[in-house]
Amino acid sequence: MSLAERLLIARLKERDGRAFDEIVELYGDKVFSLVYRMLGNRHEAEDVAQEVFITVFKTVDGFRGEAKFSTWLLRIAANQSKNRIKYLSRRPTDGGEIDDALEARAAAGTAGSVSRAQIDGPDLLFEAAETEAIMQRAIAALPEDHRLLVILRDVEEMSYQEIGEITGLPEGTIKSRLHRARMSIKEELDSHTK
Amino acid sequence: MDHAQAQSTFSDFLDGSLPERERVEVEQHLAACIQCRTELQSFRRTVGSLGKLKRTAPPSFLPDIKQQIYRRSHGRFFAPRWKLFGRIPFEWISLATIIAMLVYYLAMLHGTPSGVHPAP
Repeated sequence: MSLAERLLIARLKERDGRAFDEIVELYGDKVFSLVYRMLGNRHEAEDVAQEVFITVFKTVDGFRGEAKFSTWLLRIAANQSKNRIKYLSRRPTDGGEIDDALEARAAAGTAGSVSRAQIDGPDLLFEAAETEAIMQRAIAALPEDHRLLVILRDVEEMSYQEIGEITGLPEGTIKSRLHRARMSIKEELDSHTK
Repeated sequence: MDHAQAQSTFSDFLDGSLPERERVEVEQHLAACIQCRTELQSFRRTVGSLGKLKRTAPPSFLPDIKQQIYRRSHGRFFAPRWKLFGRIPFEWISLATIIAMLVYYLAMLHGTPSGVHPAP
């Protein structure tokens, strides 16, 4: 952990409001992105991602600095996402569990990496949003652990070591599960493009 | 090496983490097998597309969290800014009182109050 990060955490432990702002500025997008892809629903993702930072604010005294702060934070995000998935699976469905292609289409024009700047016209925008919606459904169909691995590695582009620290899994297990998850998403995507 | 064996290495192959001997075997298989080449192309496209799924938090993310903490802590943390000016500024009142008392003390120490004469 760098000195700057250590000082920031020390200020957060003093409940310094500006330190908390900095933490959310630094890690807000990463946490939101992870939680959103785990849950596939914007409303639930906003709620859980907020809970993650509230938990951080409440429990930062328990952070001893043995792992990187981002590892600790993303572990909280992963656990809270899994808990919400369990909770939602027990709740009767209201049809809003996974954002549909319409929302993905709308989002493609306003947020995320599939931006208008990267694509040439409405047809391609539509196609990119459709692909995103298919991929989100394929991710949602994976078992939770596989889902987490594919998000950490391929969406958030983290190293195997970082993923190991967050999940507590050995590298060999991460790699074999990740490969199965990628193959499963690929097959889903292929079935829509063929 | 058959199709299944080759395809089971795709993740490691793309990561560049296959041992040298195995990598050469996969490359030889790919050179001769159009089916696995197509599969690898599709696999690579899938992994690449996953990298474009990042999302950003909504603009109201930070204010919403602070509002939640404010509410749950019963106003102990992250009081809204307008409240700072609305509440009684006890800190400033205390400071002003201390300064006034200090000025009065110094005036008493060094000055001779008018209308008071020493006793004959």
